[in-house]
Amino acid sequence: MFERRSKGPGDLMNLLETQGIQFPTVDAGLRNQAAVVNVHGTTVIAVKFAEGVLNVADRRATAGNAIFYEEAEKILKLDDETLIAIAGSYATASEAVRFLQHSFKYYARSQLQEMSLEGKLHEVSRVLGRALPGALQGIGGFLPIVSAFDREKSEGRIFFYDAMGARFESREFGAAGSGAERIRGAFEYVVRTKSPFRQMKLEEALREALLLLEIAASLDTATSGIRRLPSAKMVTAEGVQEVSEDLLRSLQRALLQE
Amino acid sequence: MTPYNWQQTLRQKADYVEDRLKEGSPVVALSTQEGILILTVRRGQPKIFEIYDRLAFSGLGNQSDLEAVRQLAVDFAHAEGFQRSADDVSIQRVVGVALSPALKQGFSDPLRLPLVLLGLFAQVEPAPEEDLFYLVNYDGEFSLHQRYAAAAGRESGRLEMEQALSELKRVPKLEAALEIALRAWTAGRSPVKESSARWEERLSQELQMGTVEAALLKRDSQRDRRFCILEERDLKPILSRII
Repeated sequence: MFERRSKGPGDLMNLLETQGIQFPTVDAGLRNQAAVVNVHGTTVIAVKFAEGVLNVADRRATAGNAIFYEEAEKILKLDDETLIAIAGSYATASEAVRFLQHSFKYYARSQLQEMSLEGKLHEVSRVLGRALPGALQGIGGFLPIVSAFDREKSEGRIFFYDAMGARFESREFGAAGSGAERIRGAFEYVVRTKSPFRQMKLEEALREALLLLEIAASLDTATSGIRRLPSAKMVTAEGVQEVSEDLLRSLQRALLQE
Repeated sequence: MTPYNWQQTLRQKADYVEDRLKEGSPVVALSTQEGILILTVRRGQPKIFEIYDRLAFSGLGNQSDLEAVRQLAVDFAHAEGFQRSADDVSIQRVVGVALSPALKQGFSDPLRLPLVLLGLFAQVEPAPEEDLFYLVNYDGEFSLHQRYAAAAGRESGRLEMEQALSELKRVPKLEAALEIALRAWTAGRSPVKESSARWEERLSQELQMGTVEAALLKRDSQRDRRFCILEERDLKPILSRII
């Protein structure tokens, strides 16, 4: 009757398995790729700034060489202190994010303690591992950048992953998606010629991130840049917050006039 | 087993549970403008828990039995929330679908020890008038309440608590609700009016051996998690004024 049905205490994946709920829901056995309209999110950027981590992303989702949607949200809140920016298969990524949001809350509520940052990062790796069969078939891979505010170190932290789930930490910035590779050198240029991102104030870091996004758009057809208002969120000691639309619009106008 | 024996077994199980619940610390929950306030006094482990985005649970009884019910509710809510959506997780489904049949089955099984518990579930809604409270009995029976709910080990205690809470004419603010909840808890804890002491004095005596535990399930929240345990700094002003 009241026997625990989940084998791993606080583990949502085990709970879902014991209840016969499939995750990931994209069928890894799906082989007719031509029949699949696989929507992709493109360029996402994370940079540190003095108070935490800033995430910026364009709003374009593509399917092959078609623009599928221009209002896609690629920066999502995992919990009140963690952001994830996603590039790649939108279906797999959004399902993974939904899983992670539930997983963190399930752990906290069932175990009566918050999941540690290390635990959350490992959970992202597990989810990527689960998505690997789809990624290998070219239908379901995605690459996340995780941004969090580390309360023990009192600083923002950025983590990026490979498709198999290996995790890396970045000292200054992270980027993923089709436009990311094209602007990687530009990040280094900013850090070496201006200042480390982590020393910048919000407005300065946001300006640099928007400019980098616009450069990515000029080099990558799948990235829409800043002509449409991009999305921007940050995570600081106060938790996850939206960047104010007024600030975003004023910098957007200034950059487009340059 | 004859029908007579079966009925006798159920009566004995009920007596066994009710005897153990008598000394349990009551739990009170009521709608406030800020959200749902749940309050009790505990001597040991925490007794008020978050179940899901808009759901909380508390109760009295054996800690291990409360824990079993809590875990089942959390498991059910999260599996449902993931498979469908957070909007599909409701107190009615958690209590009516997941818990009540399981409790009933366990209680009716003559070879099983019954769970010793009275559970109180709360669901916060956009308007206080829509908040829902469910009281769940050890045998799986449950009842729906609005505005407030009280769980106590003695029937007389529950009636005293409901009497205290029924004096509410409007939805109170949190600070006022804390005082009302403390008054109701004290009424439920010592319902026999053998003492002429004022309720504040009786509460003061109880708090020599216990600690007030209170949680708010927020009505409006920018954060994902609406549930928060009220800290000592939230409770101290009201407690120092009363006792």
